[in-house]
Amino acid sequence: MNDVFARAGLALGAVLAAASLPGAARGADTAPDIAGIYWASRYDAKIQIVGGGDLPLTAAGKAAYDENMAGLKNGSITDTARKFCLPDGLPRVLATPYPFEIVQAPPGQVTIIYEFSHQIRVVTMDRPMPNDKELIPYPFYNGHSVGHFEGDTLVVETAGFNEKTFVDATGALHTDALRTIERIRKVSPIELEDVITVHDPEYYTRDWQARFVYRQRNDVRLEDYTCGNVHRDLSAVAGVHRP
Amino acid sequence: MPRFTSTAAVIGILYAGVALLPALAADGGAIPDFSSNNTGWDGGGENDFTSPKSGPGPVTSDPAEPYISNFTARRTGQAPNWRIADLTNPILKPWVVDALRQANDDARNGKAMFTREARCWPQGVPAMLLNPILLFFVQTPKEVWILQQADHRVRRVYLDQPHTANPKPSWFGESVGHYEGGDTLVVDTIGMNDKTFVDSYRTPHTTQLHVVERFKLIDGGKTLEVDFTVDDPGAFNMPWSASKRWKRVKRTLEEETCAENNATFFKYEVEPMPQADKPDF
Repeated sequence: MNDVFARAGLALGAVLAAASLPGAARGADTAPDIAGIYWASRYDAKIQIVGGGDLPLTAAGKAAYDENMAGLKNGSITDTARKFCLPDGLPRVLATPYPFEIVQAPPGQVTIIYEFSHQIRVVTMDRPMPNDKELIPYPFYNGHSVGHFEGDTLVVETAGFNEKTFVDATGALHTDALRTIERIRKVSPIELEDVITVHDPEYYTRDWQARFVYRQRNDVRLEDYTCGNVHRDLSAVAGVHRP
Repeated sequence: MPRFTSTAAVIGILYAGVALLPALAADGGAIPDFSSNNTGWDGGGENDFTSPKSGPGPVTSDPAEPYISNFTARRTGQAPNWRIADLTNPILKPWVVDALRQANDDARNGKAMFTREARCWPQGVPAMLLNPILLFFVQTPKEVWILQQADHRVRRVYLDQPHTANPKPSWFGESVGHYEGGDTLVVDTIGMNDKTFVDSYRTPHTTQLHVVERFKLIDGGKTLEVDFTVDDPGAFNMPWSASKRWKRVKRTLEEETCAENNATFFKYEVEPMPQADKPDF
């Protein structure tokens, strides 16, 4: 075990031990409650960046995007997240027109489950991000996430992505150097906001952000999802065009 | 992921000192903790149910043609084979015997008899319990999620409420549950489609399938045991029971995706994988 990481873990463990009770959301007395079922009311195939305009692509990023779009158009490249329902990766998963659920459990973890492709994100709370030596051998579609609360906001940092996923449904790309920070909070009793900052200096000239807002829908139950089956009605989600 | 795991273990030990206060069930009783402190449940490699000591039990291997799993083969040096079901099991309705006879013949004729799960299809209940790798639980006062690391599959159990009137048939059905006696989670599942098999022998079932599972911590919490009963008057002559055990391990759920690298290099006949010829949106 990496000594620095081990020491950090020990110190943090000691702090966490004092704040941890089983069977209830960790720090339930103090942590803001963001648990619930959420569902977007609009869907954009092309990611909408904060401040408007186009993605700030580097030359390499533009070349990769152009090649990917051409391949998707002529069929030489498959959108595996749709054809085989592989995980979307970030930030694409945030655009999902299907509901998802956030649970602040087990203790020390926030768990996010998306109905679409039954993707699971495990956000380990109040622990340092593993270093590159630990992340690089285990690239995940949805990356490795650590989180903490800042006031009413859940801050989720994610790294350790593979480079198989798209940034959005048009086929914008990222490299495996991608790192993201999400700031997730309730902006009203019935609305959740996730503002994601995307950092990938190989494909983007600057960090950029996208903002997603979801309605709390605790009246909805998440359903099983299997690729190619008929799934729930999405007609209430503006921008969804089923083929 | 060894490094994550070892660090998790260190933190887990530190947690353990204060992790002994039990949470409470809806009726005020204590509930078993299946999920805290980076708890995962390791199925140990074999994907068969354990038969009950007495009474009707699950389909088992034909004694004349015993099943040698890959795991057994590794231990014993025997050649692994495909399962041949014992068709004399009294639970089986005639049409189920016919279906199993066909599966037996396919196996004898050299067809590749991979589980449907191996082709990325959901297993349904109770076959989900057969996944030989890792299960995780997420417990909240209203809901329990049972997460299978393989292909990040999800079951949801709604606590302390009745079934809905006519649940739409689905892969994992509709599960409701409650805690009993401080150490047991009881899960009642109906509303499953008829596209799954109940076991690794390809025993079919109908949409009348009704499964009651009792998940219980034993061995001082080191082992999770499920005893379950399967009832399906469309497929079985009588309810039958079986069990399965997992060992507690210190793990965090990792992403393990099924629908990649599934090329069939040896040209055997396999089922198609789930795929969307048209994207969903």
